[in-house]
Amino acid sequence: MSELLELPWSEARDQVSPREYVEASLRAIEAGNGALNAFLHVHGEAVPGVLPIAVKDNIVTTDMPSTCGSRILRDFRSPFDATVVTRLRARGATIVGKTNMDEFAMGSSNEHSAFGPARNPWDTERVTGGSSGGSAAAVAARMVPAALGSETGGSVRQPAALCGVVGLKPTYGRVSRYGLVAFASGLDQIGIVTKTVRDCAEVLGVIAGHDPLDSTSSREPAGDYTAGLDSGVKGLRFGVVREALEQLEGEVRANFDAAVEVLRRGGAVIDEVSVPAIGYAIAIYYIVANAEASANLSRFDGIRYGHRSERARTLADVYSESRGEGFGPEVKRRIMLGTFALSSGYYDAYYGRAQRVRARLRHEMTEALRGVDALITPTTPEPAFRIGEKTSDPLSMYLSDIFTAPANLVGIPAIAVPSGFSTTGLPLSLQFMGRHFGEQSLFRAAGFYEGETGYWKRRPPFVAG
Amino acid sequence: MKIDRDEARRVAGLANLEFDDAGLDTMAAEMTKILTYIDQLSTVDVEGFEEREASVTPMRDDETRPSLDRELVARNAPAWRDGLFVVPKVIGGE
Repeated sequence: MSELLELPWSEARDQVSPREYVEASLRAIEAGNGALNAFLHVHGEAVPGVLPIAVKDNIVTTDMPSTCGSRILRDFRSPFDATVVTRLRARGATIVGKTNMDEFAMGSSNEHSAFGPARNPWDTERVTGGSSGGSAAAVAARMVPAALGSETGGSVRQPAALCGVVGLKPTYGRVSRYGLVAFASGLDQIGIVTKTVRDCAEVLGVIAGHDPLDSTSSREPAGDYTAGLDSGVKGLRFGVVREALEQLEGEVRANFDAAVEVLRRGGAVIDEVSVPAIGYAIAIYYIVANAEASANLSRFDGIRYGHRSERARTLADVYSESRGEGFGPEVKRRIMLGTFALSSGYYDAYYGRAQRVRARLRHEMTEALRGVDALITPTTPEPAFRIGEKTSDPLSMYLSDIFTAPANLVGIPAIAVPSGFSTTGLPLSLQFMGRHFGEQSLFRAAGFYEGETGYWKRRPPFVAG
Repeated sequence: MKIDRDEARRVAGLANLEFDDAGLDTMAAEMTKILTYIDQLSTVDVEGFEEREASVTPMRDDETRPSLDRELVARNAPAWRDGLFVVPKVIGGE
């Protein structure tokens, strides 16, 4: 295994030629992907690059397929590159491959990929989390120093937590979504997976900023995200969310308390804050996200691209049979729920109601953030679960996102950083949630915590190569 | 909220998704369980909170700009002829 890939990008890039860096990454992918299934496509050519990076398979690229983990897009080849891909290439990065994911980013375990689940490098019988499971596994197993994923309810932070790496969901609108295949347009945001907080801040600096091709991308100038990394947390205030704390038990609670103590010792002030509506986040999320998904996924109709059923004899059959054959069970379940919530007679009781509770949650979170620099919770309620453990109970799977979904519903940035290990040796994770466009404060806080603890340095049992 | 087979069939029709009867029954049972969880939202006090956000999605200017290359679009089409997407008859029946 390459020593280079053991290092953070910010250190390795000064020690190696762009050709060697990409070749080392491609070798690691070749050696490890059979066991981990983290990549759906690997670039056949070692194009020299200052950063070998993987992108999730719902971020389109012209030089590799973009399947979104779905049979319906098995052969799809985008006619254009996503803006994030263009920006990375302009700065000398090489896209080495496309990572595995739950179909259309719908899932929390990567088990809903049409191409089989990615596996967790800490225990290959366990899930990576999802939906950006391939991206998290690829970084954890030292196949690439960085990867892009996408978030709608925690799909970068939750797998980052379960694989023991750093995961960022930027503010809604911070990063262009041009070329990100839409799931729920009011929530979707491209995120970043890296080994260290500094690497994450640097990658955000490359991909953040306004894009005329995405009207929801913000005109707020991108910050200097590495500026506060060494400033410590003295004088910062963090809010522990009381209602989240009440749901914790056992070693996840003990791990969180220890993380809070690290911040306190660093000179931070810890307040307890109340966000009573936080417990409704999953219920809100599964109405709002699925309603938007049901509309967005209507584009997959077997006409312009994607799978067309061979059985279909009429136009109406082309739609329903192509979709029936092309979509997996979780995608169908979500389209059905979303269609129901928007249908005549149920709209007010479900979609309208969920949006009003979301407005209340937004108000409470904004109020809580007024008095503190960031809110803190564990990233997930438990470490990585076993493959197959939750597939027969969709609701229990959904609850994996209980601490991550609030940031998506409110549009604020949040970062997950490794916070230690369970007694069974599985990674645990701490989450900071900040104010809109407050990524710099998150990097400062997470960077301090990482510097004090250094959990990212521990290698998983399965390292590629 | 209880979803039965007929309601699942109605929603599947709206969503253009095809299921057999067993598939409809499974879907109805799963939707019932998930919607029962979601029904907790009906008890939340939302007085003063509105469905629509104050912020509106910004729109780009309506200007002409280059569109996608036809050759690249055709490459992904399931059926394509003379620069057009080919579809079966719109009206069913023989």
